[in-house]
Amino acid sequence: MQGNAACCEGALAAGCTFFGGYPITPSTEIAELMALKMPKRGGVFIQMEDEIASIGAVIGASWTGARAMTATSGPGFSLMMENLGYAVMTETPCVVVNIQRGGPSTGQPTMSAQGDMLQCRFGSHGDISTIALVPSTVQEMFDLTVKAFNLADRFRVPAFLMSDETIGHMREKISIPDSVEIIRRKEPKPGMLTYEAEEDMVPGFPTFGKGYRAHITGLTHNERGYPEATNPELHEALVRRLVDKVESRRHEIADYDAVNTGAETAFITYGPSTRTVRQVLHDHPDETIGHLNLRIVWPFPEDTLKLFPNAKTFIVPELNLGQMAREIQRHVTGQRVISMGRLGGTIHTPAELYDKVQEVA
Amino acid sequence: MRLVIDERRCKGCNLCTTVCPYHIFQEGRHLNERGVIVPVLDRPERCTNCRLRHLYGRQLCGACQLICPDQAIYWEEEDPYAAEKVVIEY
Amino acid sequence: MSTETFEKWYREDRLPHIFCTGCGNGTVMNCTIKAVDAMGWEIDDTIFVSGIGCSSRAPGYISTDSLHTTHGRALAFATGVKMANPDLHVVVFTGDGDLAAIGGNHFIHACRRNIDLTVICMNNMIYGMTGGQGSPCTPVGKISTTTPYGAAEPAFDLTELAVAAGANYAARWTSYHVAELIKAIRAGLETPGLSFIEAMVQCPTAYGRRNKFRQVGEQVEYMRSHAMLLQKKRRLEEQGKDVPDDMFTVGEFVRRYRPAMGVPK
Repeated sequence: MQGNAACCEGALAAGCTFFGGYPITPSTEIAELMALKMPKRGGVFIQMEDEIASIGAVIGASWTGARAMTATSGPGFSLMMENLGYAVMTETPCVVVNIQRGGPSTGQPTMSAQGDMLQCRFGSHGDISTIALVPSTVQEMFDLTVKAFNLADRFRVPAFLMSDETIGHMREKISIPDSVEIIRRKEPKPGMLTYEAEEDMVPGFPTFGKGYRAHITGLTHNERGYPEATNPELHEALVRRLVDKVESRRHEIADYDAVNTGAETAFITYGPSTRTVRQVLHDHPDETIGHLNLRIVWPFPEDTLKLFPNAKTFIVPELNLGQMAREIQRHVTGQRVISMGRLGGTIHTPAELYDKVQEVA
Repeated sequence: MRLVIDERRCKGCNLCTTVCPYHIFQEGRHLNERGVIVPVLDRPERCTNCRLRHLYGRQLCGACQLICPDQAIYWEEEDPYAAEKVVIEY
Repeated sequence: MSTETFEKWYREDRLPHIFCTGCGNGTVMNCTIKAVDAMGWEIDDTIFVSGIGCSSRAPGYISTDSLHTTHGRALAFATGVKMANPDLHVVVFTGDGDLAAIGGNHFIHACRRNIDLTVICMNNMIYGMTGGQGSPCTPVGKISTTTPYGAAEPAFDLTELAVAAGANYAARWTSYHVAELIKAIRAGLETPGLSFIEAMVQCPTAYGRRNKFRQVGEQVEYMRSHAMLLQKKRRLEEQGKDVPDDMFTVGEFVRRYRPAMGVPK
């Protein structure tokens, strides 16, 4: 099935009951399939008037306890930024699927790119931290959508599925399990305040309509949820908690493949470039070329770089001008980082990557 | 029942003085400790709700409580044998 | 009886609230609480959603679950809440800037969809919270900080906009007409589909101070004397008589039963 269809199936398997979206190429298939399948399962599909309303409706639905998601692409993603910041501040779990396309602006609607990787982490104003998952196969579109819902519910943070037009529109065979693991939101303990958290820094979720009488606001709030915007210590403590609750667990939730860890030259990839590197390794099995495939890109798990102790060079092929290469550069301890950014909508060829290895070795 | 203005909430806007049909609320003259000039009550025993609430068993009038933006007006039960002025209608 | 209602529905630990002296928002909150209680709704089944602005601080003082969202997007969030759980009663507090300026698109689509919400717009004809800038409802010629030479743009008639976009119930009253406002809000809560109640409120600090209303009472008095009942206006127009420009119409503009979304079964 198509990548977008696999994403839809993954969401339904994970128990998604609300989809609020706006059509945008190349994610429209997700909305269309949801429009077809949601009502049959008793869920809600609503086509909102724009992406800002879509993410607003998703957050509103999430507060009634539903697992809610939306799907968009570059221009819509930019529109959603304010409300995504609101979701981070109010600790609302939701899933946003971004089938990235050529940017900036209207760009290349029908061609692939990975230009929003920094935007999903730093796009909204203020200091925030979010979770971004990147699939490289259609099976991963299914699996990582399920995982996105679980991580969003566990950390009470928006989780992004940063796919792209290549994976979204390609067709492969997948296997759908009978049931998937579902990790639900934490219930608040009786007597605890709305935003009071224990050691894991994640408060219990006060679902609307169950008598918790929670006041949820995007203003800086104290533990009762009441706005208290002029208190410096409170704001600092709140924002640090919002960031630390995700960042402190980045190595625990890291999801990656590390192949040929003894190599001196290694590729670090996510998304479609993983497929190209796998082809390179398949074509040249006798050479030692290392490969680190990241499935969870944010929060960035820098300890995975240590899995390649002999590496002198990291090559980062991506469909943008080196966005994740910047982040990797921050964390290397003396290795060289070579960014192989490629724009235009087509992915790297194996020959191109192999030549680069020869060049730097 | 007795008419009370909660001085911790009143902000001195004097809207109650404009709506009471008996002109019970009059503009005050003295600042209280919060710096607000709270309205004074002129013969509050004329208030319909105070007099007839128990007779009818429900809220009567109540325009002042509704229009007060600060929810500063309320009625409370009086002590059973407290001295009170009575208005006789005949 | 009112006192118990207020004690039940208000978060007493947060009063006195941050609204200015004589702000009409406090009055509209009182009327809404009265109407919601008269409907027999429970605190645990009612959700208040609001945007940003003075009007939208109101849910913070009410004991129910509430969602204080981003500027202009209250209707989008409320749509999500209502569609995901139609059994909840959702009431939206917004202001004139929140609804008509940044939230204009969401407003007309919510009316078009006729989603079962009640929207109470506290129209003080200015952006109060941020210091008194002009809003799309500031009448022509009035002073605000961004219209120091008098507003040049014509103002919206929000209730007519709601009627044209398809709302099931649209009414306008002022914060002086408390009894009618309560009845209108009650009618809106009862009518399935989008109910829009516009409450003209006084803003003594931002609007009144700049536009020659020295006292709170003067602005309320202006609203009382310049409010013309809708039936009277229609009658005058039929008779061909002139309606003075500075009068505004109040009353119930429309009550119809178009198909609605999100109504619980």
